[in-house]
Amino acid sequence: MPAAVAITGLGAITGLGGDVAALATGLREGRCAIARLTAFPYRGRCDLAAQVPDAEAGSHGDRLPPATERRLSHADRMALAAATEACRDAGLDAPSRCTAAVYVGATTGGMRETEEAYRRFRGGQDARFRLSRLLGTPLSTAATVVSQALGLFGPRSTLSTACSSSALALAAAAEAVAGGRAPVALAIGTDQLCRVTYAGFDALQALDPSPCRPFDRERMGLSLGEGAAALVVENVDHARARGARLRALLLGHGSSNDAHHVTAPHPDGAGARVALEAALAAARVPPAAVDYVNAHGSGTRQNDAVEVGVLRTVFGARLGRVAVSSSKSQVGHCLGAAGAIEALITVIALEQGFLPPTVNLRHPEPTWDDLDLVATAGRRAPIAVAVSSSYGFGGHNVTLVLARPDAL
Amino acid sequence: MSHAVAITGIGVLSGFGIGTEPFWEGLVAGRSAIGALPGGPGRRGAVVPPIELRAFARTPAARRIDRVSLLTLAASRLALADAGLAPESFEPARTALALGSAFGNVAETVDFLDRLIARGAGNAFVFPNLVMNAPLSYASIELVIRGPSLMVTEQEATGEAAVLAGAELIAGGAADVCLAGAADELHAVLHDILRDGGALAAETPRPLDAAADGPCPGEGAALLVLEPMARARARGARVYARLVPHAGFGVPAPVHGWPQDPGPIADGLRSLVADADLVVAGASGAPARDRVEAAALARARGERRVPVTAPRGALGDFGSAGALGVAVAALAIANGIVPPTTGLLGTPRAGLDVVGGGARRQPIGAAVVDGLARGGICRPVRLEAA
Repeated sequence: MPAAVAITGLGAITGLGGDVAALATGLREGRCAIARLTAFPYRGRCDLAAQVPDAEAGSHGDRLPPATERRLSHADRMALAAATEACRDAGLDAPSRCTAAVYVGATTGGMRETEEAYRRFRGGQDARFRLSRLLGTPLSTAATVVSQALGLFGPRSTLSTACSSSALALAAAAEAVAGGRAPVALAIGTDQLCRVTYAGFDALQALDPSPCRPFDRERMGLSLGEGAAALVVENVDHARARGARLRALLLGHGSSNDAHHVTAPHPDGAGARVALEAALAAARVPPAAVDYVNAHGSGTRQNDAVEVGVLRTVFGARLGRVAVSSSKSQVGHCLGAAGAIEALITVIALEQGFLPPTVNLRHPEPTWDDLDLVATAGRRAPIAVAVSSSYGFGGHNVTLVLARPDAL
Repeated sequence: MSHAVAITGIGVLSGFGIGTEPFWEGLVAGRSAIGALPGGPGRRGAVVPPIELRAFARTPAARRIDRVSLLTLAASRLALADAGLAPESFEPARTALALGSAFGNVAETVDFLDRLIARGAGNAFVFPNLVMNAPLSYASIELVIRGPSLMVTEQEATGEAAVLAGAELIAGGAADVCLAGAADELHAVLHDILRDGGALAAETPRPLDAAADGPCPGEGAALLVLEPMARARARGARVYARLVPHAGFGVPAPVHGWPQDPGPIADGLRSLVADADLVVAGASGAPARDRVEAAALARARGERRVPVTAPRGALGDFGSAGALGVAVAALAIANGIVPPTTGLLGTPRAGLDVVGGGARRQPIGAAVVDGLARGGICRPVRLEAA
């Protein structure tokens, strides 16, 4: 099993703001970014989302030709904004960027722009469906945009396993540097709100008409969000040799496949448990050493119940002393970007000694009153080892184990 | 520790039919799988014939399966049967899936959008199939696979990327058996967008021919069974070839287009191609693609003449075609036959030794699938005689 790898750069753009500092402030203040959906007209059971305004994703005309820049999807722009911040944060100069790998997790790519072009074509407003409108559709476009704009020409791959996509991308980045396939790797998650996912989750009656309330006894589903996060990953020795600041360690990861149902989690959480136990084993961390769990915590009735069951099994009687919270209550469920955003939030928590809250959690399930769910407001706490889990449609589960650099 | 990776099973669905036999026979005979598409004149492509669900699916979950997932599942079962492995024999946690698709479930996405535009509502029954990893979900449920799994999407190099991801899992000891490969479907909407955008050949696609005017679209799936070489030998499995893991690399390119400078591609391919006996090119007949690919291959091979074949001429062009390209390379090594490139008329680009006309019999010690994609993605796959 590969050794621990260092995280040396962070970049994020979320409903809480356009960079990591804004995200950290939003976490500290316990703000909820979930508000009226305005990204596209939609009438259904729910009209809430955690959005990133177009202007915040920025323009990137200084690094890409104007014709290319115009065709970028919102997801591509967010990925590039986060990647740019992460590379700057890590102090990666052009020569070290040149051999860096890029691993992206995403689920819908440029779907929102594609939907709009398709609607205009079907409605007769456009005589034909322009090929140029489809260029941003493929999921791999975000990786290519980042690679070409920032000059990253190491290995490049795009992974799509629903809501665990970018947790898997981070695991792939860690394996790439640990396995010597690249000296530095950038792991990115990016996803934008689009009609397909919004109407799809709404049709499944999986959206809470109020801002989502993970672990609340009145929880009614998730709130969708959008955003991007980027994490620079490298071997600890490599980071130290170039004088980089170690912001956190990725000690290990585990993944599994329920092989059970297309949308529902395994009722016993068998797959989620395998991922968590495999991640702890890979990290050589006993459950007793874990201080904080940044849960998948989607806010659906089923997920939260299954997830608490898994935590109870793995942490046993000690569960009451492990803080558990869901950042989806603040930034929404960012689907393919969720794993990277939540891993990044976990790094902030480790770095600042701060437990991010589960906001909107006002009525905890009575049977879970032994859990520390960090309800409503975050708080200071010295934490050294933390876990971040992401569970996706199709039964795909990924768990990451992160630690403060002094945990080595 | 790194394990040598053996290819012990191949399952292909292509425009030639369902199965590896029609695929290989069609290619070796120099035929084209391209024909008329349903839905009006003027649509041409290489499509897989209708697949009998019950021949490949066993669980109730599969009643709602989408076509890309069914292509993947069918190719998986064919590959396992070819490898002499029954799914019941798997240790679920030690069996892996490394799948890919460039565009995923196009057909049901179009249906979903049509309903959303017409009625303002999504379809709860179809939505779960629209995630890119639906094939992963169906294959894992049908075959009871619970080990490492992933879904990659890399434009024209999706097939190569999936196979390489699988090779990494086996080489790194994460699994004992891995199904690796990719699938894509051709849909009328996709065909018409490409046609209306002037991106398709007027008639026959002519990969690596200087007179080529475009590709012809296609669809298909190829899945490989990968195992550690020692395990394959111990159970007496037939080994088609050894698969060499490669992390891939990127080169400067327009975000939405093909690289213009062949130099960096040649630099990345040189060590793989230098002593190879065959290159399976991704060339499709698209001039921008073929031009840079041919120039890069010419530089990478140096003074040696390396036979080149481009199966997208016969199979049609689609994101996962590279998985079928890896199957071509494995079968070429195992059989000592290079299938010809269809559509070749005049002089091949860049003076390459493109195998045209008939199949060529020759021993092949190493073959490379070059794995180029727009946006400067390079996912080369090297296979060696086992």
